[in-house]
Amino acid sequence: MKMENIIEIKKVSYEYTEEERIFAAVKDINLNIERGSFTVILGHNGSGKSTLAKMLNGLKRPTFGDVIIDGINTKDEEKELEIKRKVGMVFQNPDNQLIASIVEEDVAFGPENLGLSPAEIRVRVDDALKSVGMYEFRKSTPHRLSGGQKQRIAIAGIIAMQPDCLVLDEPTAMLDPKGRAEIIDTLIKLNKEKNITVILITHYMEEAEKADRVVVMNDGEIIADGLPAEIFENVSLLKSVGLDVPQTTELLYALKQKGFRVKTNVISIKETAASIAAALGSEEK
Amino acid sequence: MNDAVKNVSFDINQGEIIGIIGHTGSGKSTLVQHLNGLLKPTEGTVLFENEDIWKNAKEIRKIRSKIGLVFQYPEYQLFEETVFADIAFGPKNMGLSGEELENCVTETASLIGIKEEYLQKSPFDLSGGEKRRVAIAGVMAMRPKVIVFDEPTAGLDPRGREEVMKIISDYRTATNATVIIISHSMEDMAALADRIIVMNKGELVLFDTPEKVFASAEALREIGLDVPIVTRVFAGLRAMGVAVSPNVFTVSQAVEALVQLKEGAADA
Repeated sequence: MKMENIIEIKKVSYEYTEEERIFAAVKDINLNIERGSFTVILGHNGSGKSTLAKMLNGLKRPTFGDVIIDGINTKDEEKELEIKRKVGMVFQNPDNQLIASIVEEDVAFGPENLGLSPAEIRVRVDDALKSVGMYEFRKSTPHRLSGGQKQRIAIAGIIAMQPDCLVLDEPTAMLDPKGRAEIIDTLIKLNKEKNITVILITHYMEEAEKADRVVVMNDGEIIADGLPAEIFENVSLLKSVGLDVPQTTELLYALKQKGFRVKTNVISIKETAASIAAALGSEEK
Repeated sequence: MNDAVKNVSFDINQGEIIGIIGHTGSGKSTLVQHLNGLLKPTEGTVLFENEDIWKNAKEIRKIRSKIGLVFQYPEYQLFEETVFADIAFGPKNMGLSGEELENCVTETASLIGIKEEYLQKSPFDLSGGEKRRVAIAGVMAMRPKVIVFDEPTAGLDPRGREEVMKIISDYRTATNATVIIISHSMEDMAALADRIIVMNKGELVLFDTPEKVFASAEALREIGLDVPIVTRVFAGLRAMGVAVSPNVFTVSQAVEALVQLKEGAADA
């Protein structure tokens, strides 16, 4: 079956000028994103991943090359609104994204601006809140909620616009471990149940575990692109570009260097324990 | 009326590193704001060097230079025109001026790795990690005997986190200050803390060494926390019949234990 690309990034560079010098934040990147896929883009601060994200819904336009969203070039200024409806963006700080004093009003803000009927808005808001597990908080005040809950409200506000694709730029960076897990679970659910294409930008490698595909960026370029297990196996590459390696990976990697015959392409606690047990077992024979 | 912190008692010794863990809303931040008099307890006392910090309420500001508090996202509170002025703000309020003030700022800057040429820059031209360091320097410049950090690495990338953790341990080595850190990272706490305070719903539920605290995996899980990842891997190994210790909390401890186990097996 031929998969359809919802996003095509063709020879894209993004340059900016600072103190009369030209810098490239993104350098000659090619990348296709399949409709319905879950892609994680890993990179440390300054790797160009946020600039790339902003080019995916026309917040920034490439200096060179083309970004095509569902057949529309982001250079086509007349189609700007259409692109923003197809690709919704969620940012790091949930406090900067919530505007209303009641949760459901906040989620309704986007659909109201689309000029939909009140009945349609009601349906969309309820549906969006249910899909992020926040329906029971619909009458709450956002600032009384936890960071993870606020971020889920921000996601609901985007979902209510019914985008094809969700781009999230470090949505978990300001959250505690519980909040982080809530967001990742929500994204997996939206991807599986609503078939929304998800592009998650993060520097937490654990968050890439359940993705279909992992793209690693460094210094404006894509330096690796593959399945999570393939990428995680390359610990030295990830460390060399300043990425966070989970402690399970760190442990397996350290054991391998000590001569243990461990499988290193695993990440969960259970698989890590199994990998170590197997290596110890083979030693005894 | 809800109590954010309820009937909490503990003593901290000079020079200790204390970790405070607890999920969001457990009262950690409220607790530490009592330590330097930002909040006044409705009941009970906070003693610093055996004296009630509220004994003379007019002098409470003086306590804040002895017990420094670095807030969450402290970089949002930078406001001066230059990095120098921002770091100098606290010591200036303590009465330092002229050469003394200048020395204090440059010493603090070098202690935490802010380059001299940065001092005349605007703090707003710095990267996120650099801004955070300048904000921390502002508190360290007062040379507090106790320094409290509320999630000092939140929102930073791995490099930034490593830098901040290094600054904290360098400051302690240089000054022998007492350090109190609120953190979500059980792994950082396992590697760093002498003792750990566990908070839940405003109450202190555990206060002990990392060994003792992380031996209570069930109790931690019940309040939405967990033991370090490596400890969980070792629990998995024990479940598979591999005889390993439950008291392993860091990667280096784990490697050491497994190497010993492997060598023991090879000898047998």
